[in-house]
Amino acid sequence: MLNIVVCIKQVPMVTELPWDEKTGTLRRDLAAGMMNPACKRAVEAALQIKEKQDASITVITMGPPAAEEVLREALAMGADRGILICDRMLKGSDTYATSFVLAEAIKKESTDCDLILCGAYTSDSETAQVGPQLAEELSVPAAAYVENLDISGRMLRVRRLVDHFRETLEMECPALVTISMERYEPRYASFAGLNKSFMERDIAVLDAEVLGLTAASLEARGSRTKVRRVFIRKAQKGNVMITGAAANAVGEFLDKYQRRISAVIGKSIEAKNQT
Amino acid sequence: MDDLCRQDIPYGRKKLQFSPCMKHKLIRNSARNFAETELAPIAAEIDQQRIFPRNVIAKMRALDYFGLQVPKEYGGAALDSISSAIVVEEISRVCAAVGLCVTVHNGVAVYPIMQFADTGQKEKYLPQLAAGNVIGAFSLTEANAGSDAGSVETTAVKNGTNYILNGTKIFVTNGGVCDVALIFALTSLPVNKLQSSVFIVESKFPGFLRGELEDLCGMRANPVSSLFFEDCPVPEENLLGQLGDGMKIGLATLDNGRIGVAAQALGIAQGAMEAAVKYAKERQQFKKPIASQQTIQNYIADMATEIMAARLLLYHACEIKDAGAPFGCEASMAKLYCSSVASKVTGLALQIHGGYGYSKEYDVERYFRDARVTEIYEGTSEIQRMVIARAILSQPMM
Repeated sequence: MLNIVVCIKQVPMVTELPWDEKTGTLRRDLAAGMMNPACKRAVEAALQIKEKQDASITVITMGPPAAEEVLREALAMGADRGILICDRMLKGSDTYATSFVLAEAIKKESTDCDLILCGAYTSDSETAQVGPQLAEELSVPAAAYVENLDISGRMLRVRRLVDHFRETLEMECPALVTISMERYEPRYASFAGLNKSFMERDIAVLDAEVLGLTAASLEARGSRTKVRRVFIRKAQKGNVMITGAAANAVGEFLDKYQRRISAVIGKSIEAKNQT
Repeated sequence: MDDLCRQDIPYGRKKLQFSPCMKHKLIRNSARNFAETELAPIAAEIDQQRIFPRNVIAKMRALDYFGLQVPKEYGGAALDSISSAIVVEEISRVCAAVGLCVTVHNGVAVYPIMQFADTGQKEKYLPQLAAGNVIGAFSLTEANAGSDAGSVETTAVKNGTNYILNGTKIFVTNGGVCDVALIFALTSLPVNKLQSSVFIVESKFPGFLRGELEDLCGMRANPVSSLFFEDCPVPEENLLGQLGDGMKIGLATLDNGRIGVAAQALGIAQGAMEAAVKYAKERQQFKKPIASQQTIQNYIADMATEIMAARLLLYHACEIKDAGAPFGCEASMAKLYCSSVASKVTGLALQIHGGYGYSKEYDVERYFRDARVTEIYEGTSEIQRMVIARAILSQPMM
């Protein structure tokens, strides 16, 4: 049987992010939570594997008690087991600390896991770091931004879009894959599934102590980054008037902007200017 | 509420929604996500063209929308009543006509079968109804019998092992597509006093005929039609409950149906308010959003307050129902209040939209039309007041 672990995250369900402008943090209290869209696709990818072969799916999330919601939803979609990592000591963890804690949980709860799936990135912070960092923590091969996944025996074949071309990679299990938003349109959970996920399933809750994490170990492997400020960039548009004779004006224009134009079109226009 | 619902999470103000517990919140999110993805893009068109959206209905079948409260052994989702109300609310928030299809099927076709059918009838009909392979309808109303349910003129006369149905039912919700309808008809009792009974009638029985779809003010995507019965033979095993149980089954079914209509009205009100809030923030007049005007703020405050009161009243009725206590009075209160709030809120939402609200370009015009009938069907507001007053006046004095 293939043991699949899917790491998922609860993100705020908002179209316009309510930022606290003073502190630069997300006003999570104002927004209801939902499963991060790419994580949901990772769950779907796992379910599609399970439809083809004997597999067991464990979903893990780290977050406040309310993050249990996304585990229940994943169970309703068809996952087998839910694990919530929840401890005040873990509050404010950055991607480095998060991947460390997730790795400890996977080592403890799913030692024989063959495949770890994550969403490629989250809609609230978009770092795309947790997946690859988790692979490092677990010392397994990884592929990020994967749009299609096939598994045959222990061999994993993934396809992804990188810099305008598609590449296909092969890895041996155990391995980690982060799923992009290209494919794996997630299924809706049925109401019977949702009901069952509450009535017939337990969520295992792991705190720092259960994971063997102490204040000291968390200090050593704690967050290395700090968000100083989050702001919405204001577009600054202004017209630049270039006047004078056409030949001079074109020369002046190129002098000012050829580097930027080159950057946009992807090749240097300097030579043409000289000829 | 079951102990799984004990959560210390304040679900109150978040995104103008309210759910008492985590399960209810997830069910709400699931139905909302489905409605916004599948129904929002087509809601205006199916309303105008009077199209019953069969493709979307097919998707809803697989997700248990047609077996919301049916027990698991018959293939249903076995949801509690608040969950079921939340589903109807969320579908109606986007497309009330489809919400109507769901609530009538679950609330007044499936429910009486769950409550009054014998084992054979349950085994025959519930799995198909719960899977949505069979769409249900409930048919009491006739040209001369509406609020006065005792004046039904359709007859069912025993002939061998069949009852022969003759008569006409009007304004049958789901009438154009139903595969099974619960029909109220007069049956002669041995004591020779005419009383009504209820029959499970399949559309494939000979003599079961459908009329043209009604061209209604609102709920236009629901195939509301007349049903005609011309010497329609119904096997005696399709009698629901006992002979003469018509009034008893009818009243119990309507009590439950009223919870459904209240949920539908609430969903319409919620959808209209959200549209109005969005518009008020965007619409600029006098060089500022109209939401900054105190009059508009007063409207929004009234809408939000009344919607929340309506929701609590509805969920209260649901809790009483799930506790197994008589819930008729509370169901009528919820239906009366939610439908009145729906009419008021859709009116205010249209007012906030100004001239645009009177145009079919904006959803509030549809919400305004859809809301109106919630004060009429499943018992008019006048009948609800009668039911409530009777219950209050019959209580012993302290």
